[in-house]
Amino acid sequence: MSAPSLQRFSVLSRVLHIVVALGFFGLGLTGFTLYFGGTWWAQAIAWCLGGAPGLAWLHRACAIMTYAAVMIHLAWLAYYKLALKGRLTSKDGMLPRAQDVKDLVRHMGWMLGKGELPQFRRFTYWEKMDYWAVVIGINTMGLTGLVLWFPEWFSGFMPGYFINLALIIHLVEAVIAVAIKFVIHLVVAHLRPQVWPADQGIFHGRMSHERIKTEHPGHWQALQEGEGEGS
Amino acid sequence: MGKLGFIAALCAVALLLAAPALASNVAMQPAPAGEPARTCLDCHHLPNLESNEGIVANQALCLECHGQAACTREVKGQKVPLQVDLKSFGTSRHRWVACLSCHDDVARSPHKSVRGAQCLSCHPGHGEYPLGDPHSSVACSACHNKSPFVTLDKKSGQVKLARFNSDKQPIGLTDHGPMDLDDDQLCLRCHTAGNQAGAPNAVLPGKGVICFLCHSASFSIGSWWFGLALLVFLVGLVAGGLFYMKGSVAGQSGSLHEKIAAGGENLWRATFSRRLWETLKVLWFDVLWQRRLLKESVQRWFMHSLIYLALLAKLGLGLFTWLIYEWWPASDLALALLNKNNGFVAVANDLLGLLILIGVLLAVLQRWVVKPDHVVAEWQDNIALILLGLMLLSGFVAEAARIIISQVPADMAVYSFVAYPLSRLMAGMNIDWPGVYAWLWYIHGLSAALFVAYLPFGKMRHMFTAPLSLIINRKLQ
Repeated sequence: MSAPSLQRFSVLSRVLHIVVALGFFGLGLTGFTLYFGGTWWAQAIAWCLGGAPGLAWLHRACAIMTYAAVMIHLAWLAYYKLALKGRLTSKDGMLPRAQDVKDLVRHMGWMLGKGELPQFRRFTYWEKMDYWAVVIGINTMGLTGLVLWFPEWFSGFMPGYFINLALIIHLVEAVIAVAIKFVIHLVVAHLRPQVWPADQGIFHGRMSHERIKTEHPGHWQALQEGEGEGS
Repeated sequence: MGKLGFIAALCAVALLLAAPALASNVAMQPAPAGEPARTCLDCHHLPNLESNEGIVANQALCLECHGQAACTREVKGQKVPLQVDLKSFGTSRHRWVACLSCHDDVARSPHKSVRGAQCLSCHPGHGEYPLGDPHSSVACSACHNKSPFVTLDKKSGQVKLARFNSDKQPIGLTDHGPMDLDDDQLCLRCHTAGNQAGAPNAVLPGKGVICFLCHSASFSIGSWWFGLALLVFLVGLVAGGLFYMKGSVAGQSGSLHEKIAAGGENLWRATFSRRLWETLKVLWFDVLWQRRLLKESVQRWFMHSLIYLALLAKLGLGLFTWLIYEWWPASDLALALLNKNNGFVAVANDLLGLLILIGVLLAVLQRWVVKPDHVVAEWQDNIALILLGLMLLSGFVAEAARIIISQVPADMAVYSFVAYPLSRLMAGMNIDWPGVYAWLWYIHGLSAALFVAYLPFGKMRHMFTAPLSLIINRKLQ
């Protein structure tokens, strides 16, 4: 990086992003292949990946990998808060704020040709939505997935139809998650004309001053005034 | 319809076609009084074994004879009961499995089972956990069946249920009830003094994760002192790592997490750049093939490689076996790799063990006998060499004792080209090997546990630090 830049993602975040991305891709591929096992394309994929047992093994391996990555992230947050006495609630943090709703409304207006582009801080509202979709989604997927993984144990204290319910929630949530990640997140974060073909920031961890000025003007201004948070 | 169903269908059709021509030894019985007369297809048809109705129909057909006390077989002039106890079968896990699903070769004429129940067509075999390799030659029923009489079949080398009890009376083996596997007495079927199964006299712990150093093992703790060795090993690694982090990392000398972040940043950049090839080159030439040592002295390189490369190969073979077993537990490859008497496994283990032993002997000669000026025999070296030597020697002696005890046929045992000749020598001694085996095993296991626990502390620490400093130094250049 020759142009002046600022650290945006730590090494840990970058590693976890790659792990979650690969794990999520594997989960989607094997999961939908298992669910639509009757179709020709699913049978072709199943043939490549060792049939239904191979798919099931891979699906669970990817699930453990992805869930472990999210848990490591949460453990880091706990360490950051408790041991390093960091702040999680600042304007440059990941927690949703009332400002995000205002930003959303103004952003919609701007896209329709009205008003100015909102003064985005370090993380925009859609970046926060991408983040929380994973943190919340992984838990519903994880819980329903566990019910499907160990139905005998769960039906020991749950009615049997909870297994069917878990399957439906697991499927619907999977469709939503894949739609959010592969359609919205991939396009908005990586395929925008400004960053095409990929936003390399999540890989090398830095964002140039130039981009902060144009894409996160609120953050840039805060940094100039000495109150924004860098990394 | 599964494979079993297909086989059963073939058998049933064959039976149907052959029935008039063959004198079956199962009498076609008339219908009980008061019931409609039988038709051929009452018996000669194949129910759907994957439906509950089919399973019940199949069980009912078999139990028509096997449910009666009069159902017997004659062995050496004595009647052996063939009656299946419905009560114990009804409480077993196989209550809703058709007879033909396991006894897949009985629907034929003559009505006789050659292969016995086929457990492995549904259940994968045990890997290294909870039972180790020697049990790969033990039939499932030898432990899982209720009959306590087991014997070693000399022809197949397999430990099986005995057909006769201790009084030489033929016994029926029709109890389908489950054996309680938590029963401590279970292992004592074989592991007692004077047993007929070719087992050591003691129940020994299974292999733990530390045994991966040289063997295929499982990711379990094993016995508590394996766990202790693992704990000491891990604590040593962490302590070593923390000591390493005491200095400045990548110019960072702040708090620990800042150093880790700085080191991680460096590692990240080195990985995702052309410098990765530099690192891989170091790993290949300097770490794997020890190029620097070779430049210094061919003799030292030779001695070091005998120990290090052979250990690495044993580790690799063990992990490979584990991986194959995890992916394809029922495959022929997994069963072959798990079997210590398999030709390839036996040759590989004996060859690699021998190489390590030669390496250790050369090192001992160099340090204690030849004593050239540049070699300093440090006590740290001596501990490592003694533990390694003890581990290897006791390993070979234990292997030879195992060959004697389990009476491995010579044409199979000969692949263990070190342990088999040793076993012939040892067999001539007047020693109770089934009784001594436990001692040999504990010497081997304890020296291995001590060796593993010692790795992060003594001289052997260099196996972690040397590659690390090679890579880091290379990068600093």
